[in-house]
Amino acid sequence: MKQYIIRRLLQMIPTLIGISIIIFTISALVPGDYITARDNPNMTAERAAELRSIYGLDKPEYQRYFIWAGNMLVGNFGTSLQHKLPVTEVIGEYVWNSFIIAFFAMILSWTIAVIAGVFSAKFQYSLLDKLITLAVFICMSLPSFFIGLLLIKWFALDLKLLPVGGMTTAGLKGGTWTYIWDVVEHSILPIVVLTMLSIGGLARYFRTSMLEVIRQDYIRTARAKGLKERTVIFKHAFRNAMIPAITLLGFELPGLFGGAMIMEQIFAWPGIGHVYLNSINMRDYPFMLGFTIFLALLTLLGNLLADVLYGIADPRIRLK
Amino acid sequence: MTKKWSLMLVFVLALTLVLSACGDKKESNNSNNSNNSNSNQESGLIKASDLSKNPDQAKNRKDTFIIGMTDPKGIFNPLFMETAYDFYVVYSTFDTLITYKADGSYENSLADKVEVSEDNLTYTYTLKDAKFVDGTPVTSKDYLFTWKAILDPSYDGDIDGLSANIVGAKEYREGTASEISGIKIIDDRKFSVTVSEYTALTPVDLGFVFIMPEGYYGKDYKQGSLESIKALNSEPVGSGQFKVTSYKAGQEIVLEANEDYFRGAPSIKNLIFKTTTDSTNLAMLQSGETDMNNIVVSEDNVEALKAMGFMDINILPNNGYGYVAFNHDHEILSDVKVRQALTYGLNRAEIVEGIYGPYADVINIPQSKVSWAYTEEDINTFDFDTEKAKSLLDEAGWKVGADGIREKDGKKLKLNFSATANNPVVDALLPIMTLNYKELGIDLTAETLEFNAIMDKKTKGDYDMFFAAWGLTPDPDNTIFISDGAQNDFGYSNPEVDKLMAEGKKELDVEKRKAIYKKMYQLINEDAVFIYMYQRTNMEAYNARAQGFDISPYKDFPFSLYQVQLEQ
Repeated sequence: MKQYIIRRLLQMIPTLIGISIIIFTISALVPGDYITARDNPNMTAERAAELRSIYGLDKPEYQRYFIWAGNMLVGNFGTSLQHKLPVTEVIGEYVWNSFIIAFFAMILSWTIAVIAGVFSAKFQYSLLDKLITLAVFICMSLPSFFIGLLLIKWFALDLKLLPVGGMTTAGLKGGTWTYIWDVVEHSILPIVVLTMLSIGGLARYFRTSMLEVIRQDYIRTARAKGLKERTVIFKHAFRNAMIPAITLLGFELPGLFGGAMIMEQIFAWPGIGHVYLNSINMRDYPFMLGFTIFLALLTLLGNLLADVLYGIADPRIRLK
Repeated sequence: MTKKWSLMLVFVLALTLVLSACGDKKESNNSNNSNNSNSNQESGLIKASDLSKNPDQAKNRKDTFIIGMTDPKGIFNPLFMETAYDFYVVYSTFDTLITYKADGSYENSLADKVEVSEDNLTYTYTLKDAKFVDGTPVTSKDYLFTWKAILDPSYDGDIDGLSANIVGAKEYREGTASEISGIKIIDDRKFSVTVSEYTALTPVDLGFVFIMPEGYYGKDYKQGSLESIKALNSEPVGSGQFKVTSYKAGQEIVLEANEDYFRGAPSIKNLIFKTTTDSTNLAMLQSGETDMNNIVVSEDNVEALKAMGFMDINILPNNGYGYVAFNHDHEILSDVKVRQALTYGLNRAEIVEGIYGPYADVINIPQSKVSWAYTEEDINTFDFDTEKAKSLLDEAGWKVGADGIREKDGKKLKLNFSATANNPVVDALLPIMTLNYKELGIDLTAETLEFNAIMDKKTKGDYDMFFAAWGLTPDPDNTIFISDGAQNDFGYSNPEVDKLMAEGKKELDVEKRKAIYKKMYQLINEDAVFIYMYQRTNMEAYNARAQGFDISPYKDFPFSLYQVQLEQ
């Protein structure tokens, strides 16, 4: 196992190099740079040229790639042009805010989706199954900005139960617990909306996977042995149905840190999604490239994690 | 399955009802706006109607004022700030020698006295008795230090330090001198600045500089490296109305009143800039989570704010304009008759009305209606006139061909419009333009591109026409309309305009400058350099429990925060 992990980690190196070349090439092909994106009507051509040389944008692309990649190798992600701060620091400032809501939304959506999936599989074609399917499809198909604004209108403006947006109440005084409670209050609506969005796909997935397992011979055997239906479903069927879900779990890893652009916009949540989007619009190359590499790395790690967990959970699979 | 479908149908129907109910609110309010030469822009202050509706959350905040805005980048440093939101924080924490008045002229701020030498080349400033928030006095050395930072070889901020023509600036930038010879310190509160060449903008170039304390920012500064100054970006120390006490990226900036402020301590004791977004900034004002916000001007938004009852609404002309640019090097568009025809032939009033309702004006010169340089004298208003446009095209030699498209010497009148993606103005403009120009016999094609791609084409001169908007400086001097000007990516050249622009820049008397720019604008108008589109408005909405703002297109709201009183 150890050998397997080491080999996979080593295989990541050429993959990452490939990814870095691809994303750098794409960003270099896109027209414009930080200076044109600013479109400052008071900037003279001399000043623009001066700035390009300070930022190193006047060098040929291949040279810029090697400078950038060389810095990345020693852990220097460069300085964000927009924030005038090291890229890692900017990521650090925003990414945990995104992580908080993504993490709780993931736990919630997985819990609800597992329960919904199992029950709708158990009672396939019953009224319960149909109701669950309907609810799940509604959650999936409602546009997030619409449901977000609707919830704000109901819970924040009409009922005055929850705040409209942000992560904390401005000017709040009090201790740590007051602060934590304040963040919890502010995060309820974004978490609910994010959960609603991701629940649909997951519940359908678990339902299918559960249905497949229930039809297996060993389930029939278990029933024939005279086991209780509950034991059959939750012990024999459920655990086996959950194995493919491990792959999905691996894919969630980059999602936890990637931010949710629309959600952050509606709830004024200080996450990294809109910072990332802004960096693309403004051609803030160091941040844009740095964060993309960060997400690519997380995706690779997520894959590895899924494969390893798969090996642990399913003895039929041997990792070599 | 049928049951499921019927249930689904019920839900879909219910949803459509909700959605259409939302859409119904937008009733049309189209008054007769066919006459575009008169100002129909609704602007000014709309007072709150019913303060008793004020939400408790806002009312209970006796000494705290919360301003909602898009999140800044955390660069609260006058040297490196780039977004308007970072500007707001800097305006609240730093001061300049001179500052803008509401009408766009300027008055002394930190400067007590400004003396100008006979030859207009030397400015001698005397400072008022003021302190930075760390307790140290504002001195001549701090002014010199600020200029050293701006002129540093590694400086990558927005201020174009060399354009002020300070003697010795170039040498300092190139690193051949370690002092700026043009700035002479006479004593702690008195210094002189000498320029090699003066313009009408010199008083602003030298005076509108945010003074930074050398004792705080200059500790580790060495010529050639500004890293130590950048490290303090989010912890500003200035002489301004407020001092920053905490900053949470993406969330809020908390400021506290500067009790030693040289204009007197502000009455607002705590000021907070809180991050809001377009989709919910109205809701936050309504719930009392914020007290003030810049809201996009539209009839719906103005109605919503009026309905709240406790908001003062300030609608002001925006300092900028929208235009359709022509490539003057293009073989078809280089002909002034064609450009005029394209202006006459476009129903600008309909387009502007469609986008902004009554909250924007069609313009005919590239200048704000509230500027001292603005003129309507002998300005062609290019009112929508298809016949006039057709005859101009005929005169230019473009005759209608067999397929209805005009042609000249066997070439078709074919133009390409580079449209910005996701731009509401372009979305409204393009269908009307296509229709109007088809009537004239012009084959207009459009390609949709991202903003940066269009800016790239603009720089390279690889376009026929595109739409863009930009901001205006308080002074009419610019490099857009002069031949080979820094922002002239349009290929426009008129020696007469070049001459007037140079004259205007050199003239110090405002009345004489007015006459010069009037002539220039008449030429620019007649040349149809662009299709001048509109001047829109901005809206600052603030809770009426705060009174005393002095806001104008030239004076942003932070400048008057120190005089704002909160109702107790």
